[in-house]
Amino acid sequence: MCEMKLGHKVPDFELETYEPTKRDFGRFRLQDQIAAKRWTLLFFYPADFTFV
Amino acid sequence: MGCDLVTVSTDTKFVHLAWRDAEQELHNVKYPMGSDPTGNVSRMFGVWDDATGLALRGTFLISPDGTLLNSEVNFYNLGRNVDEWMRKFKANVYMGRKTNEVCPSKWKDDGDKTLVNPGAKMVGKVHEALGG
Repeated sequence: MCEMKLGHKVPDFELETYEPTKRDFGRFRLQDQIAAKRWTLLFFYPADFTFV
Repeated sequence: MGCDLVTVSTDTKFVHLAWRDAEQELHNVKYPMGSDPTGNVSRMFGVWDDATGLALRGTFLISPDGTLLNSEVNFYNLGRNVDEWMRKFKANVYMGRKTNEVCPSKWKDDGDKTLVNPGAKMVGKVHEALGG
């Protein structure tokens, strides 16, 4: 598994999401962000129902 | 230029929904809550913890062209500070606009002192370049 390096392109990835503003499920794709010319801040954390 | 926050844990989207609805601290949350139950995206970013099957507190800034520009991983017991990340984000946006400038350690916001065209002439003279 290749890990990310600073200054390198991030390979495309996608995630299923819960979208609170729509109260619905959705999908996040990096390629959509690139198409929309948006910055992305990815914020990983260990688990829901804990103390982020 | 805007930035989209996406949170990611190995919980499913169903658990995200239930947590968001149950926890009053999250009632103002508007960002998408990403689900990585296989751990594949967490592994890709190097934050997967084999011992627990959970993702460590990693934060990654990706530019509009898909380049990774900033990363930080905290262990389980250290929370992240929004102000620290706002500075990093603003600095990266600024340097994306002004590619001949770099932001020194004390840079906080647009208008603060930067180093312009750092090169041979500035070697050993950073103190003077920063204004003494």
